[in-house]
Amino acid sequence: MTDATDPLLIHRLPDVGGLAVYRQAPPPGAASCALTYVGPAGWGYDPAGERGVARLVSRLVPSAAGRFGRQALARELDRLGATLTPDCAPESAEVTIWGPSESWPRLFELLGEVVLRPRFDAADVDRVRRQAVEAALRERTQPGGRSESEFLHAVFPPGHPYRETGRGDPRSLHRISRSRILAFHRQHFVADGGKLVVTVPARAPTISALAQRTFRALPDRSPGPLPVPPVRTPSPREVRVDLPGRAQVEVRVGGASLSRSDPDYPAALLANEVLGGRPLLSRLFQRVRERGGLAYGASSVLEAMRWGGYWVAHAGTGPDRWPRVVRLLHGEARRLVAETVPRTELEQIRESAIGQLPLSLESTSEAHELAVDVAYHNLPEDHWRRWPAELRQVRPAQIRGAAERALDPGTAVTVLVGPLTARRAPSGGRREVD
Amino acid sequence: MAGRRDRGPKGATFRLANGLSVVLAPQPDSPVASVWVWYRVGAKNEWPGVTGASHWVEHMLFEGSPRYGKGEIDRAVVSVGGELNAFTDADFTAYFSTVPREHLAVPLDIESDRMTRALITDAEVDRERTIILSEREGNENWPEFRVDEELWQLAYRVHPYRWPVLGYPRDIRDLTAQGLRDYYHRFYGPKNATLIVAGGFDPRSVAKEIRRRFGPLPAGGDDVRLRTEEPTPTGERRAELHGPGTTPYLEIGWRAPSITDPEAAATLFLDAVLGGETRLFSVGSGWGHGGEHPNARLYRALVDTGLAVHAGSEWGPRVAPGLFTVQAQAAPGVALERIEAAVGATVERLARTGPTRQEMEEVRTRIRHGRQLAYEGATKTGFRLGYFTVLGGRALEDRLYRELLRLRAEAVRSRAKAMFRDDCRAVVRFTPTSETGRD
Repeated sequence: MTDATDPLLIHRLPDVGGLAVYRQAPPPGAASCALTYVGPAGWGYDPAGERGVARLVSRLVPSAAGRFGRQALARELDRLGATLTPDCAPESAEVTIWGPSESWPRLFELLGEVVLRPRFDAADVDRVRRQAVEAALRERTQPGGRSESEFLHAVFPPGHPYRETGRGDPRSLHRISRSRILAFHRQHFVADGGKLVVTVPARAPTISALAQRTFRALPDRSPGPLPVPPVRTPSPREVRVDLPGRAQVEVRVGGASLSRSDPDYPAALLANEVLGGRPLLSRLFQRVRERGGLAYGASSVLEAMRWGGYWVAHAGTGPDRWPRVVRLLHGEARRLVAETVPRTELEQIRESAIGQLPLSLESTSEAHELAVDVAYHNLPEDHWRRWPAELRQVRPAQIRGAAERALDPGTAVTVLVGPLTARRAPSGGRREVD
Repeated sequence: MAGRRDRGPKGATFRLANGLSVVLAPQPDSPVASVWVWYRVGAKNEWPGVTGASHWVEHMLFEGSPRYGKGEIDRAVVSVGGELNAFTDADFTAYFSTVPREHLAVPLDIESDRMTRALITDAEVDRERTIILSEREGNENWPEFRVDEELWQLAYRVHPYRWPVLGYPRDIRDLTAQGLRDYYHRFYGPKNATLIVAGGFDPRSVAKEIRRRFGPLPAGGDDVRLRTEEPTPTGERRAELHGPGTTPYLEIGWRAPSITDPEAAATLFLDAVLGGETRLFSVGSGWGHGGEHPNARLYRALVDTGLAVHAGSEWGPRVAPGLFTVQAQAAPGVALERIEAAVGATVERLARTGPTRQEMEEVRTRIRHGRQLAYEGATKTGFRLGYFTVLGGRALEDRLYRELLRLRAEAVRSRAKAMFRDDCRAVVRFTPTSETGRD
């Protein structure tokens, strides 16, 4: 496999204005291609009083564009055998087009069309708003969604981009006018701070020429830096929300963590894999499910973003079992900091993480995610080639140190949402009232 | 547009003397190999008192066999960078592992070890019991799960499609380890299984390896074919559910043909016209239109008009006659009566006038593209080959595909007319109790 055909090598091509362009070769034998635009358009940019606007815009952008109304765009995608998928996060929003390899030039143009010229037709805005209101209501009433939002509120201070889930609330969603939606798009779907990532069967000069032709009209301005207030280290606390009538309690334990660019990230990633990140092998899965029989699943996530992040250990369990689950989640997080991970356990987790790389090359869509990751976090072009060696350099003592910084159990917040009163709560828990 | 990728993958198919059917689908460029075992055993083979047994057995097959102690199956696959999982449905149970290609021997060894010799100890069955109850509880948090479970119980009175794949809570509490072992030994075995290997490997050496590992296993496996037939319903059946939630929700189910029925293609086509999904032939990655197709009839009638926030249909193909369902989530403030009336008018119009020429052409185009991109990646290939083989034989996919492309609008209309009858439908409505939680 040459450099030009290795999907693990992500090439940076000449920028188009401020838009950074990246090329990835499709995996061997792939029949599909994928292209993604990423813009500084996440819900961290939601203006005060208009919470939910970034997600609304993200849903509306691939809905109708240029000469294509919503139904016409759907027909065009069907004709090409393609799909358009929006995604929205605190820092950014992205649109991905995926379809047959041979159609890639047309998909390129279509992606440009939806990013540059979304229509935001009034009927579409109304429809997406209705759906967003229902999703916001659901977030309040479903243990899963509610525990997520309560957790973020407990960890991050007001005004912090990671404090919200981006869904807004019915009142804020109703307040967002079409003109505000248009304004948000103008300010945030831009070249400066944007990325274009293409996984197509074409050479670099061809891609550069098409990128230039398609995206040069993207406004070359930046929405400015995302305001990120400092996260004060909170004292450990507990938030309980009683939702009677549900079958299961959602338990979350976690806190603020480090950014993806932090030098400790590889060690922190492995620490999280040991705790609950590596499917089936992790300590939480083994203790809570396999040995304890207390929950169908127990896992942890390290969400390392540009300006910081968070870690969260999570399980859904019955109303009579959550106190034991809470103890286990805390206990395992503490053990990671108190004891050095045995070498054999670390080796197993590490080799598993490294071995996953070939599985990411099964299909274009999975390989493409690797490329988007490199582009979004400004990682070196050969990041994925070097990644196994980087992980192999991490020593057990580093894992412990990184866990202390990135998965700190001493300041962890505990969130419980579900049918809590089905069982008498144990004494000593602080009750958070918002 | 017919071309090389318009057909399924080339591969060898053979059967061992003990009845194990094998499909090999080599993809020389692939860096991985995916091993699937599909058993023609599912909730359909259970009976009252042992509901959920197929799903429970699925869990137990990760908990120990002669060569793999508890946890060692997971470790063997995951520690080489692989992934593994399993799932149970009414008609089948499927197990898969995808590993870097040089580790293909690992999943082959695991599957041969647990096909007839899983340990299923008393202690592990008891420990797993609470995990399965927890899996159920997690689903019960969602009104949609409760509604769907109620719908199948309402629509079927004697056929095993009536019970939930996860089983009834009472059966999960009461089923014994011996009962579970008996169930496993009765149905599991090469005779009721199909082994699929897809990805990067040498087919000749892998075929030899399969014969060596699986050949000596006893055939096992009782007849898993269904003999129970659900009588035709003689009137509409209804249920009302209440509970915590956000907005009212409705699901309607009509009796639909089996996957091998001559009417299967027209039913699949109807699903695409009404709900927008081409299911077995859908275009892969991403949701495309936010999970729903803006040109689908239900979407236009319910979501575009502001009556619902989500609306769709689903025909889940089954080996015996199943249900064609329509689901709709009401928009805030809209009564379910209006939703139900709009659904009724939509299906009635389709039964009266059939799909338009444009709809026919659009669905055909989507089906062609779906088929074209269906076999990218070893895992997806293994799933697809196994799914079709278990439901209706290796030739089913090609036959259905040909029929779908040949289908005329009149055949779709006539299927709609036969199926969307008020006197053989079941309706479940969910009305939320209003509250948002006590902090």
